Amino acid sequence: MRIENKSIREINSLFQKKEIKPSELYKQVFENTAQSESVLHAHLKLFEEDNLNKVKLSDERYIKNKSLGLLDGIPIAIKDNINLKGYETTCSSKMLSNYISPYSATVINKLDEQQVLYTGKTNLDEFAMGSSTENSAYGLTRNPWNTECVPGGSSGGSAASVAARSSIAALGSDTGGSIRQPASFCGLVGFKPTYGTVSRFGLIAFASSLDQIGPITKYVDDTRIIYHSIRGFDPKDATSVSDKPVIIPSNKTAKVGVIKELMEEGVSEDAKNEVEKIIKLLKAQGIEVIEVSLPLIKLAISIYYLIAPAECSANLARFDGVRYGLRADGKTSYEMMERTRAQGFGSEVKRRILLGTYALSAGYFDAYYGKALLARKKMIDEFNQIFKQVDYLISPTTPTQAFKAGEKTSNPLEMYMSDLCTIPANLAGLPSISIPTGLSKEKLPLGVQIISKALTDDSLLDFSEMIEKEVAFKEEPSDWIK
Amino acid sequence: MSNQFDIDNVSKLASIELEETEKNKLSQDLSIILEHVQAISNLEFDISVDEVFIHPLEKQLNLQEDVVEEFLTHEEALSNAPESKDGKFIVPPSME
Repeated sequence: MRIENKSIREINSLFQKKEIKPSELYKQVFENTAQSESVLHAHLKLFEEDNLNKVKLSDERYIKNKSLGLLDGIPIAIKDNINLKGYETTCSSKMLSNYISPYSATVINKLDEQQVLYTGKTNLDEFAMGSSTENSAYGLTRNPWNTECVPGGSSGGSAASVAARSSIAALGSDTGGSIRQPASFCGLVGFKPTYGTVSRFGLIAFASSLDQIGPITKYVDDTRIIYHSIRGFDPKDATSVSDKPVIIPSNKTAKVGVIKELMEEGVSEDAKNEVEKIIKLLKAQGIEVIEVSLPLIKLAISIYYLIAPAECSANLARFDGVRYGLRADGKTSYEMMERTRAQGFGSEVKRRILLGTYALSAGYFDAYYGKALLARKKMIDEFNQIFKQVDYLISPTTPTQAFKAGEKTSNPLEMYMSDLCTIPANLAGLPSISIPTGLSKEKLPLGVQIISKALTDDSLLDFSEMIEKEVAFKEEPSDWIK
Repeated sequence: MSNQFDIDNVSKLASIELEETEKNKLSQDLSIILEHVQAISNLEFDISVDEVFIHPLEKQLNLQEDVVEEFLTHEEALSNAPESKDGKFIVPPSME
């Protein structure tokens, strides 16, 4: 098996046994990138030359048996909305085309403790607003499985990078499915941890009550390793949680609920079939599976498209041409700000800022934002009730397989619907994972989503790993990648 | 609740200058989206906004002590400024 196809634990073991050096793996992933990047455009910036000394030091640590952990010398790509000191963080926006991070995000500081090798910054929908990575001001990313298709979004560059073996893993951010949906479209594992367990400090905010950083990997165990490395209470993030993880007893006694509302109209037969396949597999293991209903899930997209734009309109008010980023000419400060924001933001970002501004404005606050907050609270209550009956919830990750580039760009609502299955976990702050389970007739990956109670992330990963082993999804993107 | 979207007013509130063609397209898109989310505004709930936490795990925010800590230097804080002078951000005048 090619080294870049192995799991992080296997690679680390080879490093420890001195059968391969970090520098050799590093060279290999950049050879892969050289073959695919001009077609895929997964990255906005590559750091090959910048790490040469760091790679050498990693080689030396393994020779001296003094490695810093499982991630020492592992090449990892970073979504370009996460600050990495000394490098551009553009959020795929013209607004931040010249912005150099003066500090690193907490997740980066944590990965630095193990001297992770950052391969580059990955493409995304501008300010993480989108589901296809077509909203980037620097051009779209293509899906390594079929380059006519999108890789999903907004962390589409991160998913394409891992799928094309340009990195062993990647960090993404997930506000309404932006890790899980692209992971599903690219045949990978995508994990959104419990809200607050991973610090958001240094993640450029889109919707603060929904955003969460998490990994995109090939294997569940790789996700576990990265999650364990980046989680933890951070006083710099006011929403960070210090609660201990909650454990769900053994996989064998687990009870699973299939979300009825996500197996109905609007979800493709292919996507439903994948869930049915996993249900059979679970039942064969002696696990009880029942159908459950969460009626308010039907309103999740409406709730989300009031709360997320409202928070986005407040968060993106900071981009005013004064302290950082683009500045347009203007005779007065106000004219300068209006023109800066007109020139700096793309159309989807403008759409969401305007929608959020409207939902928060006098006369409309109670009817829109206020009602959305109440509906969100009721949906959280529904999840809490359901988790008294079952340990895990299962659904398709996405209503369809990856769609073609350009297919949904003219209709924003249709694009928003592609996050139908993933948004509820963000609204409720729950841990949620997508694991690859099979291919469609068109040879595009399909995934299944599993959600569990808040703070049961470790149990969710154990349970997902059990399914991963049973499914044994071994497919890879098309031959031209190799 | 009417879905009439006063694009001029909202773009002013959001401080975004819009071209006429952009205004038409955005008004149209936003009206469609508002129609979709309308179901929410018609709902009645037995709770009030005061009972809702912003944190989805229903936790209070953990605020830091009001103590000065070193984070960015003055130079670092100004390093991305489009224009600065004598350690300060420079902006156009407030009035013509």
